[in-house]
Amino acid sequence: MVNKLNKQGQMKIQQISFLLIVIFLFFALLGMIFLSYYLKNIKEKANELEEKNAHLLVSKIANSPEFSCGIAYGSSEKTDCVDGDKVMMLKENINKYSDFWGVKSIEIIKIYPEGFNRECTNLTYPKCNSIKLINSSTLGNSASNFVALCRKENYKGEIIDKCELAKLIIRYEEFN
Amino acid sequence: MNKRGALEFSFSWIFAILVGAFILFMTIFAIVKMMDTFNQEKSTETAKTIGVLLNPLESGFESATKSLIKTQVETRIYPDCIAGTSSDYFGKQTISISEKTSSNKWSNLGKTISIQNKYIFSEDYVGGKNFYVYSKSLNFPFKIGDLLYLTSNSSSYCFIDAPERIEDEIENSLGAQNIFFENCPEESIRVCFSTSANCNVIVRENQKSVRKNGEIVYYEGDALMYAAIFSSKEIYECQLIRLMKRGEQLSLIYQKKSDFLYGKIGCLPEISTDLIYLRQKERALESSSDLFSLVNTVETIEIKNSNMECRLW
Repeated sequence: MVNKLNKQGQMKIQQISFLLIVIFLFFALLGMIFLSYYLKNIKEKANELEEKNAHLLVSKIANSPEFSCGIAYGSSEKTDCVDGDKVMMLKENINKYSDFWGVKSIEIIKIYPEGFNRECTNLTYPKCNSIKLINSSTLGNSASNFVALCRKENYKGEIIDKCELAKLIIRYEEFN
Repeated sequence: MNKRGALEFSFSWIFAILVGAFILFMTIFAIVKMMDTFNQEKSTETAKTIGVLLNPLESGFESATKSLIKTQVETRIYPDCIAGTSSDYFGKQTISISEKTSSNKWSNLGKTISIQNKYIFSEDYVGGKNFYVYSKSLNFPFKIGDLLYLTSNSSSYCFIDAPERIEDEIENSLGAQNIFFENCPEESIRVCFSTSANCNVIVRENQKSVRKNGEIVYYEGDALMYAAIFSSKEIYECQLIRLMKRGEQLSLIYQKKSDFLYGKIGCLPEISTDLIYLRQKERALESSSDLFSLVNTVETIEIKNSNMECRLW
């Protein structure tokens, strides 16, 4: 009789324990679903912010002192004008700037007039079409803006300003 | 037997209550922790958004610009400055945010957002729902960066006896809405240019100094003067050092450009040596009181560059 009662009691405790475990697991599962949705949402927001940052940055980066023409080409200051000669000097000293703009890569590609299809280095500049500044090995999303790429030239003994159409491209990190 | 049954019944109840209470406690604990995390995430998102919204303030041909940042809830922005190190050469602008929660308490500070290419001048924290960010470029002698002055609509400034050029710039170029020159609100921060009685901030244009909270900082040019007015001494001095580090690198870039143009097209490198000298001075700058030592070099370079056939900037 006592054994029967003990067994009944044990059964009841087992039943309650099982019920509690099921309830606990149910809530844990709900929590996990919520957390995964929440994390996905955070990643989406982070990506949105990175994208917005990149688009706003690319529209203004040409005005930052490391890129801008200032009044070196003409008597008035120009917007969306990149000083090619200065950018080439920046390229030589780019290590200190690796995280400065918070992007993975910055590249300026000459579009018009079409010319030499090769990367600009000390040896090839200005007979080249691509200035790669910060250069990440992995690809990311990109944002771009059209700019005037200007430089000084010696034309028949006279120093002239030469501006060409280029595209400034920045690549930014994407959270997966 | 009944007694033993009753004991058995109450034990299972006690067991259920204990485990139930544990689950309930864990759930409440998790919810409280998650609420904290949500608040922190929201603050971090706001900080990042503010950092993103500062991008359009990079000035082009305009000398000064303004931007309004609105937040949905009462917010405290904690901008801070971290001076550069050997690994992190340009230093950092950091932004942390605390927001008022539904229970009318300030949330814990969100994750700190770091930006290397921004220079925010403000008090230790700025609170409110609408924030005015004024921007003016620092030219010394070339453009070094855009200085951002962060203020809130809940605080106003009263500029007393300000020179005409300052009044003109603030009213027309900046379109400032919380800076007054007459009919100042009673609680406004009084910035005096010629008097010193009953003033919170005293600007001495002849000494190029700004006295605030009993401390003096020095400036060169209006951009740094505004910076000194709107910011705490610690932030001002730290940002100045960051700016000079950027100036040092720009001097190097311009010096190399000068040498490059000489080699490429024969433009005389007239200010190459001056730029080397400027770099040394910018590197050696430790506080705003050292700014005076750069002035002569900066002025010489500025004049030489404007007269050069191949202007460098």
